[in-house]
Amino acid sequence: MIELQNVTKYFRTTKGKKYILKDVSFSIPSDVNVGILGKNGAGKSTLMKMLGQIEFPSHGKIISDKTFSWVMGVGGGFQNNMTGRANVKFVCRIYGKSKEEINRAIEFVKEFSELEDYFEMPIRTYSSGMKSRLTFGLSLAFDFDYLLIDETLSVGDARFRKKSKEALMKKIESCSVLLVSHDMGTLRDICDVGIVSNNAQLHFFDDINDAIKMYETINKG
Amino acid sequence: MKQRTAWQVQKSVVYALFLREVSVRFSAGRLGYFWVIFEPLMQIFIFVLVKMLLFGTKSPLDYSVFITIGFVAFNLFRHILDRSMSAFEGNKGLYAYKQVKPIDGLIARILVEILITMIIATIFVAMGFYLDRDMNVENIGMVILGFLWLIVFSFGIGLFISVIGIFFNSFLKVVRLVLSPLMFVSAIFYSMQNMPQALQQLLYYNPLAHFIEMIHDNYFFVLNDSFIDYEYMLIWTIMPLYIGLWLYRKLEKGIISV
Repeated sequence: MIELQNVTKYFRTTKGKKYILKDVSFSIPSDVNVGILGKNGAGKSTLMKMLGQIEFPSHGKIISDKTFSWVMGVGGGFQNNMTGRANVKFVCRIYGKSKEEINRAIEFVKEFSELEDYFEMPIRTYSSGMKSRLTFGLSLAFDFDYLLIDETLSVGDARFRKKSKEALMKKIESCSVLLVSHDMGTLRDICDVGIVSNNAQLHFFDDINDAIKMYETINKG
Repeated sequence: MKQRTAWQVQKSVVYALFLREVSVRFSAGRLGYFWVIFEPLMQIFIFVLVKMLLFGTKSPLDYSVFITIGFVAFNLFRHILDRSMSAFEGNKGLYAYKQVKPIDGLIARILVEILITMIIATIFVAMGFYLDRDMNVENIGMVILGFLWLIVFSFGIGLFISVIGIFFNSFLKVVRLVLSPLMFVSAIFYSMQNMPQALQQLLYYNPLAHFIEMIHDNYFFVLNDSFIDYEYMLIWTIMPLYIGLWLYRKLEKGIISV
């Protein structure tokens, strides 16, 4: 379970505080896959980062006894002057993996991400799609309670997208996912419940289809 | 996923960052290893040479050793400060992982500087024996203590400057400006006791001069430690470290999501 207690988040700008969330309280039940919807700039990514504990609420608390992956977004989380292999090693090390586990993870990520020679090249030479493939492949090598995925599934060519989706479907048999996406098909396929982010509030729906309906109403308005 | 203690997590993060820093530092361009080690070697050679040519070699003090020690200590301080100042910004991409805290990157960088200093010191010691220089140390324990203390002092100053610098960028520029003449006022290639009284009183306020004096005076039998004020060194160690850590704790979240 993930519980938000009176969570407020704002950023200070030159024109005063910009609120992303204003006094939001609700809880997300365990073992469901959550889709997060909202317009650009509505604070979906900030919410994800707060769940991943790399952004922090201005007021209030987020309580959970689950483990979360890092936020898989487009780019980010990699050191540009290190190779793909070195980055994979680095992430394995900070999660306390042993030498054999690291070697196994490297083999797996190399194979899954299909980066071929790029795996031995610095990240700065990667396209954003390649970075996403690497971060997603890397996350599959770990056992988290929740995967935090911010749009990453929508990059890459059609064949790789299909492969990622299949891998994710298999992975979520043993874990849950919090997914930010603008692709309603993906949301319907993967998620059970939905959260719509709008006007600094979060609306929780037991059924992803209801969340999608509200999102579509917002977009029309 | 297995639960780890906060200490285990931080240890693995610092270790991972350390390996990362080492590989980045030593592989920068071609001959990375060469430059990391030989740049300071060259710098010291040049200073020793200039001193020898200008002032001759007749002295109870072995100036080649004197200057070498002074520069090794000074470079350690200088490099720790330089590397600290860019540490918070430099590891930004890695704050995407919640267990990576800004201070871990700073600690990792300091460890790398210590490693490099140890390699350089080993090379110099070997050369000293080979070239039959004055390798007779008055009090080796105090020399080592001097270096260890210098590391803690540098860490405190580095942390303090970095925390302030992340919110006031111009502060780092001011610090760099202040640091540039530091080499000449830190008792690296002269001993305080040979300086005129008026200059001594002025240089007294530079804490780094005390550290380098401490190391010099405990190495050479002919030098005494009358200049060193241990209390003053202690204040300069504890205050920046205390304020730095206190500010860091307050501002850590801000540094991560700036």
